[in-house]
Amino acid sequence: MSFFKSRLLAACIAVAASVSPVVAQDLELSIIAPAGAGGGWDSAARALQDAMVKSGNARSVQVQNVPGAGGTVGLAQFAQQARGADDQLLVGGITMVGAILTNNSPVNLTSVTPIARLTGDPLVVVVPKNSPHQTLADLTAAIKGDVANTIWAGGSAGGADHILAALITQAAGADPSKVNYVAYSGGGEALAAMLGGQVTAGISGYGEWQGQIESGDLRALAISYPEPIEGIAAQPLKAQGVDVELVNWRGVFAGPDIPDETKAALSTAIANTVKSPEWQEILKARGWTDYYAPADDFAAFITSENERVGTTLRAIGLAK
Amino acid sequence: MDALTHLFQGFGAAILPVNLLFAGIGVLLGTAVGVLPGIGPALTVALLLPVTFQLDPGGSLIMFAGIYYGGMYGGSTTAILLNTPGEAASVVTALEGNRMARSGRGGPALATAALGSFVAALIATAGLAFLAPWLVKVAVRFGPWDYFGLMLIAFVTVSATFGSSPLRGLTSLALGLWLGLIGIDQLTGQTRLTFGVPNLFDGIEVTTLAVGLFAIGEALYVVSRHAFAPEKPIPIKGSVWMTRADWGRSWKPWLRGAAIGFPIGALPAGGAEIPTFLSYTAERKLSRHPEEFGQGAIEGVAGPEAANNASAAGSLVPLLTLGLPTSATAAVMLAGFQQYNIQPGPLLFVQHADLVWALIASLFIANVMLLVLNLPLVGLWVQLLRIPMPWLYAGILVFATMGTIAANPSVVELLLLSGFGVVGFIMRRYDYPVAPVIVGLILGPMADSQLRRALQMSLGDPMVLFQHPGSAIMIVIAVLALLAPFLFRGLARLRKEED
Amino acid sequence: MQPPARPGFHRPTLIIGVGLFALAAVTWFDARSMTIRANYGMGADAASYFVAAFLAALGAGHLIAAMRPGIRAGDTDWAGVGWVMLALVGLIGSIWAGAGFIIGSTLLFAFTARSFGRRALPADLLIGLALSTLIFLLFNKLLQLALPMGPLERLF
Repeated sequence: MSFFKSRLLAACIAVAASVSPVVAQDLELSIIAPAGAGGGWDSAARALQDAMVKSGNARSVQVQNVPGAGGTVGLAQFAQQARGADDQLLVGGITMVGAILTNNSPVNLTSVTPIARLTGDPLVVVVPKNSPHQTLADLTAAIKGDVANTIWAGGSAGGADHILAALITQAAGADPSKVNYVAYSGGGEALAAMLGGQVTAGISGYGEWQGQIESGDLRALAISYPEPIEGIAAQPLKAQGVDVELVNWRGVFAGPDIPDETKAALSTAIANTVKSPEWQEILKARGWTDYYAPADDFAAFITSENERVGTTLRAIGLAK
Repeated sequence: MDALTHLFQGFGAAILPVNLLFAGIGVLLGTAVGVLPGIGPALTVALLLPVTFQLDPGGSLIMFAGIYYGGMYGGSTTAILLNTPGEAASVVTALEGNRMARSGRGGPALATAALGSFVAALIATAGLAFLAPWLVKVAVRFGPWDYFGLMLIAFVTVSATFGSSPLRGLTSLALGLWLGLIGIDQLTGQTRLTFGVPNLFDGIEVTTLAVGLFAIGEALYVVSRHAFAPEKPIPIKGSVWMTRADWGRSWKPWLRGAAIGFPIGALPAGGAEIPTFLSYTAERKLSRHPEEFGQGAIEGVAGPEAANNASAAGSLVPLLTLGLPTSATAAVMLAGFQQYNIQPGPLLFVQHADLVWALIASLFIANVMLLVLNLPLVGLWVQLLRIPMPWLYAGILVFATMGTIAANPSVVELLLLSGFGVVGFIMRRYDYPVAPVIVGLILGPMADSQLRRALQMSLGDPMVLFQHPGSAIMIVIAVLALLAPFLFRGLARLRKEED
Repeated sequence: MQPPARPGFHRPTLIIGVGLFALAAVTWFDARSMTIRANYGMGADAASYFVAAFLAALGAGHLIAAMRPGIRAGDTDWAGVGWVMLALVGLIGSIWAGAGFIIGSTLLFAFTARSFGRRALPADLLIGLALSTLIFLLFNKLLQLALPMGPLERLF
């Protein structure tokens, strides 16, 4: 038990807290996490804070939580206060794309400036371990046979999990508006329903259920990533004949109407951070998949995601 | 006993002087921040978590355990002394605890809370160490129908907090249910009563409601009466310590509180509040002094406070074995584990056995440490009431609003907080009980979504509630508990007529 | 405080009863305007209808109860209540106007102390300033909590 050999020195450092960044670039940033403490965007923002400061790409970074309405409250506030600002960033992701549409948010992602796409995690489709469905084909056959009695569990209504369930239902040849999707507050609560065998299948981020998949309590049928991922046994939906892909991506944005040199400076700082060993280490520790894309690619990507998510949400009846 | 060997190894690591020091620092920090009015354990742990990041995993987990228990304990101190619970789970503690403090018995109230927390946490931590794998298997069998049954029981027990008038009590409950409707419906994404305000989409934060109704409502009410009937809080009357009678009346509620709190806390959607309501009702029904309830009955502090802490330890069961955070505090804890690349889940006990057992051992140690450090501090906390009233209430308001600002720095949230303060003032003025509002806000949305999940899985067939034995039994219990008082009254009348 | 309007008619209870009816009506209309339906089982409107009916029933109960004499609220120091409200307005106004946490909390502290009849506003302003500056330094610097920034906060 080597980690118990802590010395008093460590205690002193702890009490003095962290105020010793490496002096490198002079960026003093504030990142808005449009979610409460402990959530996905909050941890992404804090991870970015950690990596930027430690890798010397920023002098100091403050994280501010502005929770509410799938991130649209934070987005609206950010679009207002960060106009033209060179020191403000916002973390966002695919859930925000959906929330903007379902909440009729007046501000959308085209009003802010995409800086970089950072991570993209696969969603996983699982069944309980004593489910009769052994393969994805079994599950899609069940969906085609009786869509009402194929009960899904996953995160909140209109989120990425729900969208994937609808896309799979559609690809299986059933009406996506008839999908029987039971929404839970998050992957955790849905997990209990899966383990209790109360539902047919479940969807969540792979990392959230990794433990149960590895221990054999859940059977992973497929992942939603376009290509196979090293270390994950489950194969992509696409490789198994279901033409669906969905990546739970996260990215950072700067305020509206920022000058080109500001955009370039922020992009460079993020690009350098993403390449740093500190960031790579965080990705490994958290089980996040690198999905970096620079500003222009990211902007084009958002346009296409907007289109795709919108179509699905309209099919489910959650957006007009 | 494999678990026992592991536990001893865990103790072996945790008992090192340097680790004891970390535990002590953690308990002190946790208590110090947790004791600020309006700042509950979740925020306390979230604030102090970064402090532990500087240490190695072992040392920081130990400090972390100290912060967790310290924050839990600190929350009840302000609930008792200042009637300002920082979280929903201490609302019930405030009911009787603050009455005791007002009649000069703040010392014994704090002491029974500390000892009850200690006893309950000890039992529950032992339960965590030895029953976790078994308990979690039972817990995941709990379907939405079973949760709905549990909610019904909880709803029925709320009447214990109604006070003198059922009409006013039900009105408070209805107000809470109404507030619970506000926001985006989790199951369908439909907005309810949001009037297009995005800040309302996530619903009303329970902490905002609790702090508004209690801290701000209380301050407004005290001010409104101050000029006419200056009610100076009495710092101490009699001993700070518990008398023999206090001990005699406390130990059973401690044990019962632990027995109620731990299993419900271990349920994936149980939460920390429901056990406190259940414990309060149980103590009121079982007490030999039911007339003292509402006037400062020590059982009403001992039971709920024990239940609160037992459920906090119970919530570590789904957290450690499933990676499932069931409370805001547990969600922050999960973030803490992930910081060290530890993913709680079924493999945690296998892959990181040494860490887990060190954590469990540290929970025991933190618990003892808490008692050793805090019992002597009871006398000091009671001195808080000696602060002149203008400064005392001014300070309470500063800290209470700071808690809200820290969690969500938006003007809308502060307006809600002040609005709830005004509502709390009016309710106090016309003798409407405040606690049922919070109960309604917590239970309403849970009962709503669990019932609808059950019906969604049965494709709309309501019989699903009676086809599962668990839910059927709990619904029957709830109905009996609702009807029993009427039946008894009827029986008594019959008997009288026979005589 | 209220003057006895009509003998045996309790005005606060009456007002609360009418308020409950209004709340029930708002909830009812909100439920009727919901567009997203559940595919299976009950929709989001069911709970709204239930609560609306519950509130209406309690409203009726209040109207009946208002016939009987009710609680007479004791004397009230409305000036004190006004000062606390002003204190809260001071805080919210500071946050809204971007004056920051310290100024807001200072106003909150001083006005609340004034509400209890203290007539030492300058001294209380100073105490409040010291207290909120201390809180800010402790939580913002040591615990990295992002409290609202204003001109004073930027000095540190």
